[in-house]
Amino acid sequence: MEMSVIWRRTVPQLLVAIILVVMTALYFLYIDKTTKATLNYWDQLLINYSIVIAALAAIVGGVDLARYHVALIMKREREQIPFSLITLFLEVVCVVFAFYALATGVPILTQPQFSWIYLNLQVPTSSAMYSILVFYVASAAYRTFRARNPPALLLLIVGVIVMLGNTSLGFVIWPGFTPLKDWIMTVPNAAGYRPIVIGVGLGTIILGLRLILRKEVTWMGRRD
Amino acid sequence: MDGEEGLKMGTSLKRLDTIIGTRQLLYTLLIIFTLIPMFFPLRLPISISARTKKVYNYIDNLKPGSYIFIDFDYDPAGRGEIEPQAVAMMKHLFDKKCKLVMASLGTTGPVMFEIMRKTNPDIFAGKEYGKDWVNIGYVAGGESAAAGLARSISGTVAMDAYGNPIGNLPLIKEADKAEQFALAIVFTTGTDTLYYFVRQWFTPYKTPLILGILGVMGPAAEPFVAAGQAVELMVGQVAGAEYEVLVGRPGIGLGAMDAQSTSHAIILIFIILGNIMFWSVRLRGEKR
Repeated sequence: MEMSVIWRRTVPQLLVAIILVVMTALYFLYIDKTTKATLNYWDQLLINYSIVIAALAAIVGGVDLARYHVALIMKREREQIPFSLITLFLEVVCVVFAFYALATGVPILTQPQFSWIYLNLQVPTSSAMYSILVFYVASAAYRTFRARNPPALLLLIVGVIVMLGNTSLGFVIWPGFTPLKDWIMTVPNAAGYRPIVIGVGLGTIILGLRLILRKEVTWMGRRD
Repeated sequence: MDGEEGLKMGTSLKRLDTIIGTRQLLYTLLIIFTLIPMFFPLRLPISISARTKKVYNYIDNLKPGSYIFIDFDYDPAGRGEIEPQAVAMMKHLFDKKCKLVMASLGTTGPVMFEIMRKTNPDIFAGKEYGKDWVNIGYVAGGESAAAGLARSISGTVAMDAYGNPIGNLPLIKEADKAEQFALAIVFTTGTDTLYYFVRQWFTPYKTPLILGILGVMGPAAEPFVAAGQAVELMVGQVAGAEYEVLVGRPGIGLGAMDAQSTSHAIILIFIILGNIMFWSVRLRGEKR
């Protein structure tokens, strides 16, 4: 095997496999208190590495975002340019605030300028985007909640009960809507969702096993 | 009814169906009926669900001075649904003289907390920073961050959200590990965060969890309660409004309940009309 392949593929795979085994053992196996106290240092160290890597990944993400939008501007796509410029401008503004915080020691959270931008730009735009969903949901509900057949009728009835159970209007019409909605959510809904949660758990175990056995390579960004 | 009359009726029904089916009509009515109750509140009565009552009783039965960990992890889009829950529950916790440690696994969390704090100053009145409450701020790393904070807050972060060394805060000296917290409350708009806390706080340390989430996340979070991994859920704006009633501090949750009722009513009216049209046409033997 070529040396480059060993460094590029085998070493990272082995590292991931070893860390996975150690972390799994620390989480699931019973270890006596003395051993655990010794291992706790390494456990915490690995977790802290992970946190530092995630924080650095945010910087990589920021740089990548800037590169992507600079490339779009360079392509001179007229329709895209204004959006890319706004994105880049706001990214630069946030970086400036971060450096200002570093230089002055005033935390970014307590900077009134940053709070103003967040409260008057980010919060309303984000809320507006989410609120627009109500129109799509309403339109979709009108079109799909048709009692075409018995299953559709059941969906319609359950949907109406949950909707009314979530409002004061439902309580005014019939106080029983709230407990009935709670029952639907805690019994049939939970029963339906539990297999999904168990499936996710099993999928995670299989992924872990594939990583330990070095069968999973997609996380390295290539298939070789 | 002769054939001509029937044909006319069929045409009228189809025309009515087309008018009702117009998106613009539904959208316009939705806007109008959401705005009207904001300016002219209907003050419809509100029931307290058994679930919200359970959360209230659980917090009410905590020992005074208990340490509570709160994950502030919602984004601005979820503010309308989750902030009412957060404000009402924090008021209750402070009234019970509990000591709160706040952290955020999401980047938007610390800012949302600051907005909440500035817009509800009465909640924090008389409470001393560092002794009664602490804000750690954003901790990167997702599940690793949750695991790290559970093992040791001071071992995971060096400074709080305001630049104070974490070791200088008396509250962190008293409560540094998941085992020391009587309760962890997760206010989040991300389903993944719920898994983080179930796996890293409840499973290894048995720290009780209360999950404050969006309405759309409710179905996905139910299995945690059914399995006993979470004490209870606070789902959507309605839970916040109910809690506001319980703690006797009406806020934006209660204020928006009328709008929620009227907008839901419009959608229901359209669903009923749509079904009437559908069955009228179908019973006439016409294909749709």
